[in-house]
Amino acid sequence: MIKKIITSRDFILFAIIVFGVVVVGIANPFFVKPSSLSDVLTDTSILIILALSQMLVILIRAIDLSVASNLALSGMLISLLSTIYPELPVIFFILLSCSIGTFLGVLNGVSIAILKVPFIVTTLGTLSIYRGLIYFVSDGKQVYSSEFSEDFLALIHYKFLSLSFLFWIAVAVFILMYILLNHTRFGRNLYSLGGNPDAAKYIGINENKYIILAYSLSGFFAGLCGYLWVARYSVASTQIAIGFELTVISACVVGGISVMGGVGTVIGCTLGALLIGFIRNALPAVDISQFWQLAISGAIILIAIIINTKTEQRKEKTIMVE
Amino acid sequence: MKLELKKISKFFPGIKALQKVDFKLKDNSIHALLGENGAGKSTLVKILCGVYQPDEGKIFLNNIEHNITNPLESLSLGISAIHQESVMFDELSVTENIFIGNHITKPNNLVDWQQMERKTKELLGNLEADIRPNEKIKDLSIAQRHIVQISRSLIHDADIVIMDEPTASLSQKEIDELYSIIRNLKKQNKSIIFISHKLDEIMEVCDEFTVLRDGEFINTDLITNTNKDKLVTYMVGREIDQIFPKKQVKIEQEIFNVKNLYKKTQFKNINFNLRKKEILGFYGLVGSGRTEIMKTIFGINKYDEGEVFFKGKKLKIRKPNDAIQNGIVYLSEERQNLGMTGLMSVKDNINMAVMDKNSDYLIINQLKEIRNAEELQDKLNIKVSYWSQLAQSLSGGNQQKTVIAKWLSTKPEILILDEPTKGIDVKSKSAVHEFMGELVDTGMSIIMISSELTEILGMCDRVVVMYKGLVKNILDVSNTTSEEIVKLASGE
Ligand SMILES: Nc1ncnc2c1ncn2[C@@H]1O[C@H](COP(=O)(O)OP(=O)(O)OP(=O)(O)O)[C@@H](O)[C@H]1O
Ligand SMILES: [Mg+2]
Repeated sequence: MIKKIITSRDFILFAIIVFGVVVVGIANPFFVKPSSLSDVLTDTSILIILALSQMLVILIRAIDLSVASNLALSGMLISLLSTIYPELPVIFFILLSCSIGTFLGVLNGVSIAILKVPFIVTTLGTLSIYRGLIYFVSDGKQVYSSEFSEDFLALIHYKFLSLSFLFWIAVAVFILMYILLNHTRFGRNLYSLGGNPDAAKYIGINENKYIILAYSLSGFFAGLCGYLWVARYSVASTQIAIGFELTVISACVVGGISVMGGVGTVIGCTLGALLIGFIRNALPAVDISQFWQLAISGAIILIAIIINTKTEQRKEKTIMVE
Repeated sequence: MKLELKKISKFFPGIKALQKVDFKLKDNSIHALLGENGAGKSTLVKILCGVYQPDEGKIFLNNIEHNITNPLESLSLGISAIHQESVMFDELSVTENIFIGNHITKPNNLVDWQQMERKTKELLGNLEADIRPNEKIKDLSIAQRHIVQISRSLIHDADIVIMDEPTASLSQKEIDELYSIIRNLKKQNKSIIFISHKLDEIMEVCDEFTVLRDGEFINTDLITNTNKDKLVTYMVGREIDQIFPKKQVKIEQEIFNVKNLYKKTQFKNINFNLRKKEILGFYGLVGSGRTEIMKTIFGINKYDEGEVFFKGKKLKIRKPNDAIQNGIVYLSEERQNLGMTGLMSVKDNINMAVMDKNSDYLIINQLKEIRNAEELQDKLNIKVSYWSQLAQSLSGGNQQKTVIAKWLSTKPEILILDEPTKGIDVKSKSAVHEFMGELVDTGMSIIMISSELTEILGMCDRVVVMYKGLVKNILDVSNTTSEEIVKLASGE
């Protein structure tokens, strides 16, 4: 039993993170102060949320490349609106951002499930389209921090147990996803659909429905992160989160979500996001040059993936008792 | 009448899979559904399970007409099935595979893992299966997977249980257990539709039969009113000899020798040799290590100790390609996963391993490919509807034959066949047997794993009997009895 836990990939990932924190802590004690660590968590929260929602899609053998554009577009739309109606409550903007994100996600889902446009083509297309729409709605201009209402930005700075609002949102999403994927029929059916789509037909899982739902959820959380991102950095522009979808996908892959579908855990995915977030924060803290930072984070991702495949290898049944 | 199908038709592009088929299932009856490969049996099953919708015809359950539009509906009407294709989820646990698509939920709509696990344990206990509920399917043997599939069809307490070739990859002991499960179901007033190509077992367990040929209804009656020869005639449309006597060939010198092969937890002290033109059988319970030995010889897995000699020279095989280069070929028992490319045509599948032989100056000669495919297709009686038909749309048995044809095209020196005739109809089976005879006559040597004793006794010169990773004995087939073999195989 203990051996099983130690060789599980979630545990190995966890160990890598702890080991990394210790090493960096020795090199730069400032980095392991509670306040710095809590900053790392805050910094990684959006990545965790997006990685978990991306996981839903990867589980069914697809990918959503449009998340970062979706996030930026939803974020821009509510920012523009908030400059016009600063008196509206912030919860309105959050819900609106989520709804816009969901709508954009549904478009992806419908294109893939109903129109049968392959997911790569669809989401690569919407990646550009959604990004392009930001220029269209904003005329290429930015919304600066001074233009947001105080309410709009206040929520994000709220702290509980000296951990940030963002972090607690990530915790809530984690719990939600954990229940969704482990304790609901919907979640379990995602696993079976991704694990063996042919067999799923024989047990009556409606593939199209699940594709649309998975992309809608991915869109929903992209929309949520749209608000979080804009509020956290107090700026909305055409450039926010550009290329972030690749960070999200690498977090999933490092976390052991198989792009072949049907494999991966919520805990693994979260650890994957934490590892990537940690690397992005730690390397600057130990004074490594920009160039090496990229190479090192690439290498760490590769190592994590190699460990994943190693732990995945099939065990053999005992036939002969010696 | 428990179930009645009236004039059911199903068409695929260019194929009439079923044409106005009638079928009646009585209460409390075990009903055999018979026909050659491609006759339409599995298609009928899929219609009953809501996987396909019929193009014509009506379905009555207890005299009420029903439109079965999806698998969950079929299940709620009390129909459950073990399909011919594996409907398993490798990465999920045994428990989950049993309840898949139909998880038990608590009042708050969350999945009730505890109850599912408890029920699974209970069921597996009743079946006397040594499988833990939280094991992943990918860690189970083929026979254990079968048991999980059977459990899945039992858990729903369905009224009609359909089994599409449930015994194809089981050995005698497990088959006997399955029979007792089936008889038990019948006692509980359920009806079973049973599909099999093994006529002996049909005669043994079934009460009634229905025969299909080329998608058409041929005959239905009580089993007591028929015999094996008559059944074959219904299926094939004419009388045929069921068993081809094996061609007598003179066995020559030893060409292959395995010494003290050992692999931790898998097998130990494996010693045997193979002579030119010989057919060497491997018999044992499913999971006795036969497949593992062949996989290591072929280079798919590694062994820890031991030596392999081929024509007196020590062979070092690290990967399957080394074996193939030396003229050793292994036909895996997991043909659909490992042997076939479903999205390629039958012709391309057959020619896949011999592209260089079919090429002139690196360019593939289509004519040679067609000739090769046609020859084998004829010989093995592969039923394709048109030339470019994709291998995945073939019936189960025809897929098997396609893979056999693919490996036979390579004209190896040693051919290792793992359950070569599982799921193949009577006529094709004797064709495969006849073909094996011809091959050894031309100088090939064959190792054949089979769980069917009649096949071992009918085809092999010698048989290696295995039990839990050990060679129990190597017997001369002309000098032994089926009792002796079965005894050795069960460890006595
Ligand atoms: N999805 C499909 N697309 C096209 N043709 C199909 C499809 N499924 C089955 N067929 C064809 O329908 C016919 C009947 O196939 P079916 O699988 O019902 O045969 P079967 O009686 O079960 O044979 P076997 O004994 O080999 O399992 C075959 O000719 C097969 O090629
Ligand atoms: Mg079939």
